[in-house]
Amino acid sequence: MGGLLSLGNLPEPAATPSVELSEDLGEFARAATIEEMVRLGREVLSDPTYPTARALARAGRGVVGCFPVYTPQEIAHAMGLVPVALHGGGENLEINHADAALGSFLCSISKSTLELGLTGGLEAFRAVVFPYICDVSRNLEGIFPRLVPGRETFMLHLPQNFHTPAALPFLVHEYSRLAERFRAAGGSPLTEEALASSIELFDLQRAGIRRLLSAKQGERPSLSLSESYVLRRLGGLVPRELHVAMLERAASELEHRARPARDAIKVLLVGPFCEQPTLELLDLLEQVGCEVVDDDLLQAHRWYPSVPPGGSALERLARAYVDSRMDIGVRATPTTKGEAILSRLDATGAKGVVFLTAKFCEPALEDVVLYRQALDRRKVPYLHLEFEERSTAYEQARLQLETFVESIMFD
Amino acid sequence: MAERPAPSPALTQARDRQRELTDAYYQELARTDSGRKPVAYMLVGGNLAEIVRSFGYELVFPEIVALNCAIKHASLPNILNAEAQGYGLDVCGYVKNDLGLQELGGLTPFGKIPPPDLLVCSFSGCYVYVKWWEALAERYGVPLFMLDVPYLREPTPRKEEIAYVTAQLEELIALLERTTGRSFDRAELVRTLGASRRAEEGWVDYLHAGRQRPSPIEAYFEAVFYMFPINVLRGTPEAAEFYALVNEEVAARVREGQYPVPEEKFRVVVEGVPPYPSYRTFWDFFRRWGAVSVAATYPKVGGLFDQGFLHDPSRPLESIAEYSVGAYVNEAWPLRRELIASYVRDYAADAVVIHGIKSCRSFTAGQGDLRDWLLHERGIPTLYLESDHEDPRYFAPAQIKNRMDAFFESLKPASPAAGGTP
Repeated sequence: MGGLLSLGNLPEPAATPSVELSEDLGEFARAATIEEMVRLGREVLSDPTYPTARALARAGRGVVGCFPVYTPQEIAHAMGLVPVALHGGGENLEINHADAALGSFLCSISKSTLELGLTGGLEAFRAVVFPYICDVSRNLEGIFPRLVPGRETFMLHLPQNFHTPAALPFLVHEYSRLAERFRAAGGSPLTEEALASSIELFDLQRAGIRRLLSAKQGERPSLSLSESYVLRRLGGLVPRELHVAMLERAASELEHRARPARDAIKVLLVGPFCEQPTLELLDLLEQVGCEVVDDDLLQAHRWYPSVPPGGSALERLARAYVDSRMDIGVRATPTTKGEAILSRLDATGAKGVVFLTAKFCEPALEDVVLYRQALDRRKVPYLHLEFEERSTAYEQARLQLETFVESIMFD
Repeated sequence: MAERPAPSPALTQARDRQRELTDAYYQELARTDSGRKPVAYMLVGGNLAEIVRSFGYELVFPEIVALNCAIKHASLPNILNAEAQGYGLDVCGYVKNDLGLQELGGLTPFGKIPPPDLLVCSFSGCYVYVKWWEALAERYGVPLFMLDVPYLREPTPRKEEIAYVTAQLEELIALLERTTGRSFDRAELVRTLGASRRAEEGWVDYLHAGRQRPSPIEAYFEAVFYMFPINVLRGTPEAAEFYALVNEEVAARVREGQYPVPEEKFRVVVEGVPPYPSYRTFWDFFRRWGAVSVAATYPKVGGLFDQGFLHDPSRPLESIAEYSVGAYVNEAWPLRRELIASYVRDYAADAVVIHGIKSCRSFTAGQGDLRDWLLHERGIPTLYLESDHEDPRYFAPAQIKNRMDAFFESLKPASPAAGGTP
């Protein structure tokens, strides 16, 4: 093929692997404490070449990538595949080629995901799913097969009308189409028993993640934001059986874990539901005196508390998605944006909101205006920051955050 | 120098009539503001004009209001107002024009735009539609109907997709019955769809005229004017009559040898939304090279009628569903690029010009790959330009002109149609 792939004599890797894991990912099984798990997680996240996916592929496992925000990963698991959350390339990946194919005024995550694909960084993945969360994600799927050949891709159309009974059979059909693609990627035939069993496992994971989140919401939170985030993020990178066991170990430790008391302001973190901020930025939030009591990070694990009973396993999964009351930028809101943000404030006791939106993320940018209008009416303070994957200088963000915290603290 | 004779009336009747229809529409909207008729806001792509109008609603298409504001150089104050509300630089220009305009009381140079009583979101091809209509719903507190239209990933919609949309249409009808107190008149809808079908067939005849050499139509800049009735007035007798008039004019152009570009040198296919704030300037950049667009994708945003997505009175709801699924930007990139290549082939074009829009990701994300595909896999000369459809701050005339000049200059030796310099 000519064109883009000939421009830079590709594939030259955009990033060199820096972390090599064992094929059974035993490192995660051996990480006994939260500190060890988080340290390992931070190492894995510093390597943009998806070390867990590479290790799994070396072991002969079929890895499928799931672009944010939501894919019913249970289906891949039930077919013997390992779903891995594909959150772009992070801060250590340089973009050299993707701009030319996608365009300039677009979010980092779309470009870094394509850059990885163009430069051989997604060789471990047999398939990639792009849910229709925005026009960029949708269009990225459209150009992916030509530019990154050799793997299945699928644009999953998740419904936007949650008032119609017709959404359920439509979504069941979409999930069946998705399963066809997973089959083409080497998955086993999808059976009712296997899917029911996978749903049970993922429900355990969801319950474990809820426990992590509740550890952030008490008067004396026993986890920092970045600890909570890294533990959750690993849930999309390692096999779920492994993650459930890690969450159980973390839950035991959290029963008696204490962090020093902090004089901090409780805030909601709204906006980073797709592209992920750097760990440095998340650390900064708490360093300046914010206590993040709820956030939009990695919402795929908390779309619904558990999959409801009744009907076939595919129908149950579809119903769980359709009936969810989640308010997030990438699906039609079940109420209004104003009601949604105010009810989150009431539920968490947050005193302010930090909007952290990815640059060029139009769904987030449009929601922020409506959220802000509701907060203005109730006189709730907020701060809006934009970020990119390769953000490196945080001095201005630090100054803004410090001012924001002080304005609440000394109000 | 001899004075150029005035064009015969047969050569101006379509544009004159289009102006009359547009003026009458906006005048009616301004009257509607006094509360005589309920108002529904609707999006262009895959719209449900026939159903909603049959319940007595007057229809407002904020995208069309926005482009009219831009072409009349009136979009910037609205955009600045939206930015003052908090909508950032990277938000769609149509959205900002509309939300700024709403804040400023709906006043435009062509009349007052009334606020909505109902919001019908045909989510067909653009995710921003969902966000935009949510913002309007929050502002006005009126009912919002979300028509979820599955993205078209195969050449033909699946029966499950059509069943999904059709079921939602039935629910929309039930909502309209509740909000208006009227009963649904199926026979009336069938009659309306008959009028739509006649308009669509006339519109397709017009578009197909671009296959002639020289082309008697301008399939981008001129078609933008003529797409108003097919999107806004579809289902009315006036729309069907308009396209009959347009095609009479096209025949007269051929008969009298009067073509949009007097000496056709380059035949191009244009992809993308026009830079409305600099519409005439951009058009002139083509004309000075004798370049005529013989086909374009943008006039198909309302529906791909030329690809067979026509309303069918014998299958009213099903054909509306098919039409909604088949709007241009609701098609996956592999379908979009094959369509563009087919236009190059079927309309004997020399090149493709892509106009990317800074604030429109639906149209634009991936156009770089399109250019690469056309150039390297199909061997079609392709130019990529970028500005914005609404925001005049992003149109850099010198830069765009330079790129176009360089492109047509380099195209000249390869094209049998080319010759001379501007």
